[in-house]
Amino acid sequence: MRINEIDLKKYSNQFASYTELRLHENRSQNISLLNGDVVSNTRDASGGVSARVYDQGAWGFCSNPDMGNEAIETTIGAATRNAAFLAKRVGQADASLPRANAEANSDFTSGKPTLSQESKIALLRELDTYIVGNCPEVVSRQVALNCLDMEKKLHTSEGSYGHNTNTRSIIGIKLTTRNNQDEPIELSEAIGHRGQFEDVFTSAEPMFAKIDALYLQLLDKKEAVKAVSGYVDVILASDLAGILAHEAIGHTTEGDIVRAGSVAADYLNQSVANELVTLVDFAHTHNGETLPVPVYLDDEGVASQDAVIIDKGVLKSYMHNKESAQYFDMPLTGNARAFNYTDEPLVRMRNTAILPGESSLDDMIASIDNGYLLMRPTNGQADSTSEFMFGVQMGYEIKQGKLGRAISDTTISGVAFDMLKEVTMLSDEMVWSCAGMCGKKQPMPVGMGGPAVKTKVHIGGE
Amino acid sequence: MTDLTHTDAAVTDQEKSLAHKVLVKILAQGFDRAAARVSADELHELQAENGEINLLRTNFETEVGLVGIADSKRASLSINQVDDAALEAAVSDLQGMAAGSQQDPAFDIAPTQPAAAFHGGIDEPDYDAMYDRIEDLQRYVSATYPTLNLRSSGITYFKRRSCFVNSNGVEFLTSRGLYQVSISFSSRLGSKTSSMMYTGYNTLELDTPIQQSSNIDLLMRQSTEQVDTQHIPEKFVGDMVITPDCLMTFVGFLTARISDGPLVSGTSMYMGKLDEQVTSPLLTLHSKPLSDELCGGYWVTGDGYQAADSTVIDKGVLKTYLLGLYGANKTGLPRAISSGGSYIAEPGSSTFDEMVAGVKEGILITRFSGGRPNDRGDFSGIAKNSYYIKDGKVQFPIKETTVSGNMVDLLNSVDAVSTERLNTGSSLLPWVRVTGVTAS
Repeated sequence: MRINEIDLKKYSNQFASYTELRLHENRSQNISLLNGDVVSNTRDASGGVSARVYDQGAWGFCSNPDMGNEAIETTIGAATRNAAFLAKRVGQADASLPRANAEANSDFTSGKPTLSQESKIALLRELDTYIVGNCPEVVSRQVALNCLDMEKKLHTSEGSYGHNTNTRSIIGIKLTTRNNQDEPIELSEAIGHRGQFEDVFTSAEPMFAKIDALYLQLLDKKEAVKAVSGYVDVILASDLAGILAHEAIGHTTEGDIVRAGSVAADYLNQSVANELVTLVDFAHTHNGETLPVPVYLDDEGVASQDAVIIDKGVLKSYMHNKESAQYFDMPLTGNARAFNYTDEPLVRMRNTAILPGESSLDDMIASIDNGYLLMRPTNGQADSTSEFMFGVQMGYEIKQGKLGRAISDTTISGVAFDMLKEVTMLSDEMVWSCAGMCGKKQPMPVGMGGPAVKTKVHIGGE
Repeated sequence: MTDLTHTDAAVTDQEKSLAHKVLVKILAQGFDRAAARVSADELHELQAENGEINLLRTNFETEVGLVGIADSKRASLSINQVDDAALEAAVSDLQGMAAGSQQDPAFDIAPTQPAAAFHGGIDEPDYDAMYDRIEDLQRYVSATYPTLNLRSSGITYFKRRSCFVNSNGVEFLTSRGLYQVSISFSSRLGSKTSSMMYTGYNTLELDTPIQQSSNIDLLMRQSTEQVDTQHIPEKFVGDMVITPDCLMTFVGFLTARISDGPLVSGTSMYMGKLDEQVTSPLLTLHSKPLSDELCGGYWVTGDGYQAADSTVIDKGVLKTYLLGLYGANKTGLPRAISSGGSYIAEPGSSTFDEMVAGVKEGILITRFSGGRPNDRGDFSGIAKNSYYIKDGKVQFPIKETTVSGNMVDLLNSVDAVSTERLNTGSSLLPWVRVTGVTAS
């Protein structure tokens, strides 16, 4: 039975205490070309029903892939019994959660006919052929398509209801050449968009310019030197600002992390950054534009609100689920999201961004005597101490205000609130990424954005 | 191999029946080779957050994996709805996916092997024992480490029944249940916070308190020390003693680069290195999915071969690549007899104390938070939950310390392996000392 055919509201009479009843299906697709060969051609669909029940401060959860009437009733019953099992042992009679009653519906699936596998492979092959024809020093190439549709229908005992489908399509390109020592040198690009393949990848041609830019940087990287490790002036290019916002500040200010001991607990309403810095976790829209991961209703039935984390350098708030909002006595923000139907909602970022400033990138580079321009992030990680790190796969030296030699892959790190105080310039551009996948217990698609940032970080190297 | 118990045999018959049904449907769609895997999972999880038991979870999951090869074109698909309409739609999609793909003679399925059934682990979760162990841990932490916050702690009972069949007549039935214990924690004293640490282990019994299992107690005690961290005195090039907790972060560079992707693409630093010295002769690493020393192995590879134990590195010499069937056919190199994982490293001849005593200046690293190393092996990242070593003694916990080097060089630089090893149920690994790492 398909999710849109199931009426969840009819199960309201089976809710014994606060209950979230969710139908949820993830549909993903992967096609990978390695040196022109199709090495992966897969699809996955995973869906089912879950119920989460709150009883005297204890949670019971149950999920089942069967979305039939009997299975849904059984799932609600099992979750209710699980909550009661714990409530008997650890229950607190006066425990309660903030209430929410909201309704939101959205659908980002394509209205166009679904393209055949052959058509999708043909587009990837067109990109592959372009690489072969225009990137003569490439010795190995990978072109991969990853698509994820996430459909959720939610009904809570407080009356919240929503049927929302988010979609995302990403084409990843990895080029490898060899340096003079015959060692592999690689560089990759992820071209991600909100929406299904049929809407966002109508032609290969718009991606050729990205391949050209990637290739030119790869040739620079062939001659790359290692960065000199230490605490240095850097320009983090706009494609790095998003992961900076996400890893450096975002995780540190998630309500559950703050409750668990993050240093952000000590700094509320204090200056934590240069006043140039404003950082927001947007729910779904900014400047009239629908963002990469629009969330209108979270998985606790809360209408999603923008969370202004840092306003002109002052730490103003955190991101919350119901429990953390109650703990800190703050308004609900609607950040509770679950990745799979088998998962409980956690506090997750949505579209986290540093807002742009007024400087030009050229002026920012010209302002540095000895430092680095860093671009193209890889993976990252945050810590309760607010120390963050992320990998950087491309960069250039800056000497006397001019770009110098390319540097090889490195990792940068810093303490978020120290690094933010060192921010002295922000560029006037705003770049959004729709390819991020956060890994906090469960994976989760996230949007990230921002301008180029001038600051100081630790850089790994010789 | 263990006979299936009566109960499990009866239940696994459901997966077997469904797997054969799916296989027939795939072949009826015009595929000349096909495979089907049906798994039924059961998960029971008790979880605590911030020192309070707060979630009991029961999940059931069914997964049907389909593989079809027609005219040397391959597609694979997985679903978790098993009604007839869903299965018909899946095989139809599979046919469309393969038809739109490209021929590659390297695509194949496992050859005929004798049918076999395997059973391991425990059949049912013990909720009371799960509850008692978590509660016991919380009491211990409150009494022993009052500054430590058990951010999350959980015990999961996970059981998977599975049936793999293919059109060459392969049929494997497997069933395994075990407990997975995981905890994450940090410490806080006044305004000072330690780095977050997370660890876990697999086990078949819950008689042993969590704090007495694996190296949990040591890591918790260290966490309470790590609220007082210091910078290293200055940048240096020195040694690094790698704990078993993060050894696979470094050895994992090698195991990843000897698998399908890097070898097929020709980007692996270990191309052409079979039977050659690739690490220090002090390192010997096995992949032993069948070992009785571990409790989380496997009996069947992802391609549908009966798995066997293998030695990956023997005294520094690369003895096998970890190629699957496609990678082996594509490269002309031998297929691995295991799918990797379940790693057991041979112990060395130095005690941990002797290893530290031999360090003039270095880092004792327990967690590495770093960017993915590039194909050449260059790495850099932060040494988390780690210590500064000077003149043979562990001095103090460190902060904001970046370590960098090259994975290939690092594995060749191993100059000591400990006699002690840590068993997490999924691996059995020693402490390892390497040289030439830059710390700043």
